[in-house]
Amino acid sequence: MATVSPSAVTAKADGGGRSILRRIWRSYVLRRILRAIFIVWVVATGVFFLVRLLPGNPVDVYINTQIGQYGMTYDAAAAQAAALFSFDPGTPLWQQYLDYLGGIVRGDFGMSILSPGTSVTEKIATHLPWTLFSVGIALIISVTLGLLLGMAMAYRRGGILDHTISTIGSTLHAIPNYLLALMIVVFGAVQMGIINYGQIRGKLSPGIQPEFSLRFLQDAFYHASLPILTYVLTTVGTWALVMKSSTTQVLGEDYVMVARARGLTDGRIRTSYVGRNAILPLVAQIATQAGFVVGGAIFVEKVFRYEGIGITLFDSVQSRDYPVIQGVLLIVTVTVVAANLLSDLAYSVLDPRIRTEEKEA
Amino acid sequence: MAQVSAAPTTGAAGRGAFRGFFRELTRSKTGFAGFVIVALIVGMSALAPIFVDGKMPTDLDAIWGPPRAGHWLGTDMAGKDTLKQIVLGGQTVVFVGFLAAAITTVIAVVVGSLAAYIRGRFDNFMLQLTDIVMTVPQIVLLAVLGAFFSLDSPIYLALIIGCLTWPVLMRSIRAQALSLKEREFVEAAKLLDLGTTRVVFGEIVPNMASYILINFIIAVTNAIYALVGLYVLGLAPLAGANWGIMINNAWIGGAMFLPAAMPYILAPIAMIALLQLGLIMLTRSLEEILNPRLRDK
Amino acid sequence: MPTTDPPETDGPILSVRDLHVAYKTGDGKSVEAVRGVDFDLYPNQSLALVGESGCGKTTLGLGLLRLLPKLGSVPKGSITFNGRGSAVDVLALRKQELRKWRWRDAAMVFQGAMNSFNPVLRIIDQMADTIRAHPDGERKPSKKEIWERSADLLRSVRLEPNRVLPSYPHELSGGMRQRVLIAMSLLLDPKLLILDEPTTALDILTQRAIVDVLHELRAERKFAMVFISHDLAIAAELADRVATMYAGRIIETGTARDIFYGPRHPYTVGLIKAVPPVVGDLPELASIPGAPPSLSNLPEGCSFAPRCDYAEDRCTAADPELNPITERSAGTTHAAACLRWQDVRYERKVVERV
Repeated sequence: MATVSPSAVTAKADGGGRSILRRIWRSYVLRRILRAIFIVWVVATGVFFLVRLLPGNPVDVYINTQIGQYGMTYDAAAAQAAALFSFDPGTPLWQQYLDYLGGIVRGDFGMSILSPGTSVTEKIATHLPWTLFSVGIALIISVTLGLLLGMAMAYRRGGILDHTISTIGSTLHAIPNYLLALMIVVFGAVQMGIINYGQIRGKLSPGIQPEFSLRFLQDAFYHASLPILTYVLTTVGTWALVMKSSTTQVLGEDYVMVARARGLTDGRIRTSYVGRNAILPLVAQIATQAGFVVGGAIFVEKVFRYEGIGITLFDSVQSRDYPVIQGVLLIVTVTVVAANLLSDLAYSVLDPRIRTEEKEA
Repeated sequence: MAQVSAAPTTGAAGRGAFRGFFRELTRSKTGFAGFVIVALIVGMSALAPIFVDGKMPTDLDAIWGPPRAGHWLGTDMAGKDTLKQIVLGGQTVVFVGFLAAAITTVIAVVVGSLAAYIRGRFDNFMLQLTDIVMTVPQIVLLAVLGAFFSLDSPIYLALIIGCLTWPVLMRSIRAQALSLKEREFVEAAKLLDLGTTRVVFGEIVPNMASYILINFIIAVTNAIYALVGLYVLGLAPLAGANWGIMINNAWIGGAMFLPAAMPYILAPIAMIALLQLGLIMLTRSLEEILNPRLRDK
Repeated sequence: MPTTDPPETDGPILSVRDLHVAYKTGDGKSVEAVRGVDFDLYPNQSLALVGESGCGKTTLGLGLLRLLPKLGSVPKGSITFNGRGSAVDVLALRKQELRKWRWRDAAMVFQGAMNSFNPVLRIIDQMADTIRAHPDGERKPSKKEIWERSADLLRSVRLEPNRVLPSYPHELSGGMRQRVLIAMSLLLDPKLLILDEPTTALDILTQRAIVDVLHELRAERKFAMVFISHDLAIAAELADRVATMYAGRIIETGTARDIFYGPRHPYTVGLIKAVPPVVGDLPELASIPGAPPSLSNLPEGCSFAPRCDYAEDRCTAADPELNPITERSAGTTHAAACLRWQDVRYERKVVERV
């Protein structure tokens, strides 16, 4: 029979190596973390395969170009390549792989071909925070808005709100997010002139430095507003519809009727009985949507010239800057995996049934 | 005991079901509208090249000309007729979209139904694989692959897109196959010792036909999303004039900021959005037909 | 069997007069699931509502607390509650008053405790919710008081508070959940408890435990009980009075002894004959031929007439009212809605063993 202890994670373990292993296996949290690391490793290996092992891979091409165009020796060319990538093409393959993995752990992804002298890590570090900033805020706004709209739609099923949002949401869903971004520029900036595109693009106005001041924050928000608007518009419909359907389902559950019979206030029922249960499918979906939004960032940032990781990826792809491509791909994967992990953990906190299942597994 | 003859019964049931299915489709307003939209757009894209000649004379006096007789949507940055470009511009999009979706669907069906039927290690491996592939955002993956492999021909494009988008589809096919696996006709086929291939592809898959159709259409929307995305990013070959290229041209050429260029910008966007909308309406009503519980009434 | 002595009291705690409950059907029409029910329930009395599925007993139970779904309504009738001195017209209560009245004066234990609890809250939290929703004047009950009161009630249903209170609903078995539901229903010491099929879907040993628990609780706390069931054995054990329902109306009412030993409505007779006793000689078993009528298409006159062995021409003329057979006080009159009640006999012939 299930224990009474409300502790979410593990049962107490006695000492000993084998039971520690078993404890790790049982712990939901640790298992998810291990799995996340595994996924990142697989992607990293895949990238290595593309960059190094495939015939006609960039490293070989680079070396051959150096030899052919500049008449270098193989060793010299390899040494130059080693300066660019995080591993040395002159060494045996398995050592390159280990160096590569070691580099990842250390945060060394090599040097950018396009911007000589800049390490890939530098490039990522200057751009990634902006993407996280805009996407993060957009996600918060979008989820909250979608949540409230969805619940309202479910409570007033068939009402005006329900029909309008459903139609708008469905139509918006059909338009690819990048096209929506373009349309915002076209209509907002060009046609209606409300948005001053020349001013608002980019991540900061010229002359403003990152610092802890209100002026900086205001400026950052001003510039991030259009990307955030685009992200929100393209995702809020999905959230609202998901929340609506899960709220509708919860409203039909017995325990809601029992709660009413018990004389609980409407407010209490709405938050702790309906809300907390209806939100579960939403949390589960945040993981999938996170990947989608991050993918969309590459377009949105291009359209608004917002210097985040999306533009970095775009530029590096255009110019075949392989070390940067490699680095960005890995970082993006890590970000999405981390988002998935967080959402899984949040879900297990919110839904006690998962915790017991895992405990007894 | 009744004879197990899946092929002929499915055939007869299939034909009758198809007719009834069509009738249901016309009953739902959205479904019918969706079907009409898709048919029109696909038809136009496929047939236009036969009737409309590909000549697009540049006319430097008519750069960004407004809509007028003879040029219903105006002219573009080189004086070429916009409407003609629209009419002829759907070819690649539709072709690559449907081909990529077909590739994806075939892979997803084969892998998904085999995984569902065989289970065990193969299934576990496939699930892990799909998990991993689904983690990386699709566009990012496409962009990266576009950097490593040159994407010149439409067929190549379709191949790459098709090979990247099957994981999601595979999961739904697998789920459906799992539920079908428990049914009696599968048991009967197994008892007759028909062999894995015949059981999976002769029995299970034909019974999922309509479900597969729905997933195929969803795959088309995904493929078109990916394809147009690649064009907008400038990663797909920019020769010729299709809707994606038009959008890309408009962006690069700074046409976004010219009010006169509105028709040129909006027309391809509208066409793509319409096509996607039509496809989605189709899937929704198809889903309702197959799963009457979804009907709101 | 419980006592049939009339309780010492002045008036009924619950008076239902000509209650009709209707449901809207898809095509704009409505169907009455309860078609004119009258009864009085006296304090500390237990009434079993017995009948087949679809006879309207659950609807009646829900209607008493105004818990009908959106499509349900009460087009006619009155429900008067008289638990705390003054008479309360339940149907006229406004939202806030209704909320306060619910659970404090009348509580309900639902069918299927499987899903009656919020899956994400602990039991103690759900108890606390209930107590806090009905504050006693200005004072807010402390956590300790809440725990004490909940623990007290859990013990009275033979559960261990330290085990149950910190748990989540999915960590408890079905039987435990049902008992927790019963305990929760008594949290505010209501004078009327409605139970809808409290023992269905439970194994026989758990059923026994629940019945025993209910006996003890009634003896201790003295509340009136409306007990909805299709299980005649349970009804026999727990009920002072029994009312059988058919097609939305009460067609026979009386003390448990009246109903089980001397039923006077052909339907009740059929019901009892259909249940074999566990011990003793095996009597003839008979099922009632036919099926209950569709509520949207009721037959003329008595709704049971098409299936009735005693039916005559006059039975299809008008739907009979409850005819008193033995007049008694405090709602324990034996009455049957049958024109030929005098002819109806309950006889069970024992099957010859070879």
